Amino acid sequence: MKLVRLTGLLMALLLVNATSAIAQDVVIRNATVLTVTGGTLENTDVLITGGIISEIGKGLRTPRGTEEVDATGKFVMPGIIDAHSHIALSSVNEGSSPVTAEVSMEDVVNPYQIGIYRASAGGVTTSHLMHGSANVIGGQNETVKHRWGSSDPNDLRFEGAPRTIKFALGENPTRVHGRRGTGGTGAIVPATRMGVEQVLRNAFEHGKRYMEAWDAYDAELASNPRAVPPVWNERMEVMADIIRGEVLVHCHSYRADEIVMLTRVLKDYGVDKITFQHANEAFKVAPELAAYGAHASVFSDWWSYKFEVYYSTAYNAAILIRNGVITSINSDSGELNRHLYHEAAKTQRYGNLEDDEALATITINPAIQLGIQDRVGSIEIGKDGDIAIFEGHPLSVYAVPEMTFVDGVKVFDRAADPDDVRLEVDPEGAIGQYEGQITSRDHFHDQNEVIDFLEAFGDLEDVITETTHN
Amino acid sequence: MPKQLFAAGWRRYVLPFLLLSFLPTSLVFAQKDSQDIPSVSEATAIRGARIVQAPGRVIESGTIVIRNGVIESVGRRVDIPYDARIIDGDSLTVYAGFIDALTNVGVPESDDDNPTGSVPDRSNPTFERAGIAPQKDVRMHLDASDKSVASHRQRGFTAALAAPRGRMLPGQTSLVLLTGDKASDMVLPGTRPVLFEFEGAQGVYPGTPMGMMAQFRQLYREADRRMGVQAMYDANPSGLSRPPYDEVHAAFFSVIEGDTPIISFTSDALELRRALSLSDELGFNLMAAGLNQGFDVMDELMSRGIPTIVTLDIPDRPDWAAKADQDSLDQVLASYNDDTRTATFRDIEAEKRNLEAKQLVARTEFLTMPARFAEAGIPFAFTTYGLSVNVMRRNMMEYIANGLSEDDALSALTVDAAAILGLSNVMGSLDAGKMANLVVTDGNYFDKDSKVTIVFVDGNQHLTGDCSGSGCSDKFSWGN
Repeated sequence: MKLVRLTGLLMALLLVNATSAIAQDVVIRNATVLTVTGGTLENTDVLITGGIISEIGKGLRTPRGTEEVDATGKFVMPGIIDAHSHIALSSVNEGSSPVTAEVSMEDVVNPYQIGIYRASAGGVTTSHLMHGSANVIGGQNETVKHRWGSSDPNDLRFEGAPRTIKFALGENPTRVHGRRGTGGTGAIVPATRMGVEQVLRNAFEHGKRYMEAWDAYDAELASNPRAVPPVWNERMEVMADIIRGEVLVHCHSYRADEIVMLTRVLKDYGVDKITFQHANEAFKVAPELAAYGAHASVFSDWWSYKFEVYYSTAYNAAILIRNGVITSINSDSGELNRHLYHEAAKTQRYGNLEDDEALATITINPAIQLGIQDRVGSIEIGKDGDIAIFEGHPLSVYAVPEMTFVDGVKVFDRAADPDDVRLEVDPEGAIGQYEGQITSRDHFHDQNEVIDFLEAFGDLEDVITETTHN
Repeated sequence: MPKQLFAAGWRRYVLPFLLLSFLPTSLVFAQKDSQDIPSVSEATAIRGARIVQAPGRVIESGTIVIRNGVIESVGRRVDIPYDARIIDGDSLTVYAGFIDALTNVGVPESDDDNPTGSVPDRSNPTFERAGIAPQKDVRMHLDASDKSVASHRQRGFTAALAAPRGRMLPGQTSLVLLTGDKASDMVLPGTRPVLFEFEGAQGVYPGTPMGMMAQFRQLYREADRRMGVQAMYDANPSGLSRPPYDEVHAAFFSVIEGDTPIISFTSDALELRRALSLSDELGFNLMAAGLNQGFDVMDELMSRGIPTIVTLDIPDRPDWAAKADQDSLDQVLASYNDDTRTATFRDIEAEKRNLEAKQLVARTEFLTMPARFAEAGIPFAFTTYGLSVNVMRRNMMEYIANGLSEDDALSALTVDAAAILGLSNVMGSLDAGKMANLVVTDGNYFDKDSKVTIVFVDGNQHLTGDCSGSGCSDKFSWGN
């Protein structure tokens, strides 16, 4: 009978909380509301009904049962959006081929990963989960909301968010594919930036022909029921969708020359939705980017971790913004994503951006780059109830995130933050060692994902040496 | 033809008498170098045994008669045929033969199982190098003399779904009986699901779960296209190019038509969810095996009514708990507090204790999964896939210690496994007319000290029943 008792006890202790994702009604009272798009409102209430911001104003009357949050003296801002993240993924690089447009992060979202909770503890409510930078054309990315508590990856999906895909230029793809070759093969194209461009053009050209072949088949089918469909190709399906404008391109890049190169390639294929990720030299070509309508998603002040990212400046974001390029600041890190508000504040130290401009780099601007600006990125009636509450102004060095809401559901509360919130625990390993643990490797940024890939392919020793020397 | 009839008749009528004339009856069991026990009669009766016909359907003292590989009669009072060899069932319990619903039994390991080595272009390896072999037929790879067949039998397994070895798509499985002199003796007709696992290719495409998902879709959708083109060509080839053919895509045709299921073996909840979404998306029939951490996917399994096959692999005890007794572990488990706020630097021991308690909670989730499946009304079978069969009973007893009833465990080994594999008309219970697959134990199988003493597969007796000395099941040294 003891067993029955223990089983009953267990039922009460189940790690995954199935009920956590139910949208609630909540009113946040008497805060300084940083709407980002509509100015700053003092002593203001924000009401979230059914997960959506339904009213903003003073002394709001609320329906019975609405949860009250007293935010007197506190700052309320839109939930932070990280436009470049690799948290909550079971795998990051399908690094076995220079073009893997067919793979999708959607298939490998890991809702158990503790990084989701940690990001929420830094006010982040949406992350753009990206394929790594091992391949010139990597996989499709997945935009997720930090709906912590569910074991179902589908619960995290940002419904209706546009499809996006990862491209990568420069040293990572040339190292993985061109310089050494890994796994059971020698070097293949690309070994140089010229090769990277050629891989891109080949993929686009094949995608275009594939699209034309299917269009021709569809046309022929109308008059000939015995028309034979072209060979199915998952990879080219995605290339065709990129050409059709159905997939937004997010491209890992550093140097000005390769950035301009990609705009030329995309122009040839009529692709105009492009966000350059990292883009440390984007400031050199800011007018060209603005003219193309390209966006940039950058680090605040990170560089010199390898040769191609040697020439850089902390004024990058400010220069881009002053030149009319929509620019966000991202983390690319399971550590840095917890203090993106500090990263945004650095654009004031280096570039004197206004408060709303600085906040926009981690809210409405990344929302635009992900095509979700109608849903999130500012505090406006009708937008999702994704909110971060801070003690202190979020752009102050004294800012402390206090509470985070996703769809009106509180996913983080500093006053109720247990030691251990893991949803998944290794049932047999040593205590104190677990997946998602922050290590020194979390500061390697984009190197990290390449290491993950090479580790899987048994070539780690060389890379560690190389990384150290970079 | 007359010649063959004569030959068969000679064996049936003359051989038993020949043997009898050479051997005193007490020495019938003494042919130590023979795999099977030669029967002096085609019929065997186990008399006065406890007969568990099916879970919950027990004859405390009865008789079961088998003849020509079939259960002839079973009941409290059964007339024993004059020609039956009689086994005294006093103190013995008879169960329906156990079924392992996914295993590599009878399939020897080979260098081809895990292809490695250099390729000209790792982005475009051959199917073989990438571990994609859905066309590989396990029946071509069975070896009746493989040691695994005997060791499975010693644990009471009489039938199985045998799978080829490999990586992402190891090949097509087959129902087998764990008896016979050669591979073809083992093979049973019936369902032959294609095995799918998240085992990436080594050093070549596809290496990751997302790569395997994409590759699976590619294979499936191109096979679908080829099927259509082939049908068009078969109807009238005039003016059409010859459709492309390769055995990998062709192996998907019967999957697409719904005749052959995919059986996925997954080792965590996310892998299981990925298999479910492929099945939802592409529309094939899925059987879900492995299911470690499947407790987080119970609703999805139930709503789809997918055939469910639970691994007998369980998490090891963590090192810190390896030597603890059950009572102290229960105390640790009960002490778990999901809202501790300990400053590590003040009380590292308190934090550690709670981490240990949480780990036990997590481990208990794994151990209670079969009990929770049973409680939720999800029928399931067991699998030893990827596991040494030696731990099968020990691990099952852990499931039972964590709430699974003995009847539900027995169902998983017998009647539910038979239903899931489409074998209910021939296996899964001890009823007249079914195949003579029997497990005989010297007491309740689920008692710690009981032993499997005799196993009949298709009427062939495989253990002596002689359990004197060091034991009969694990120390079996006779005839194998």
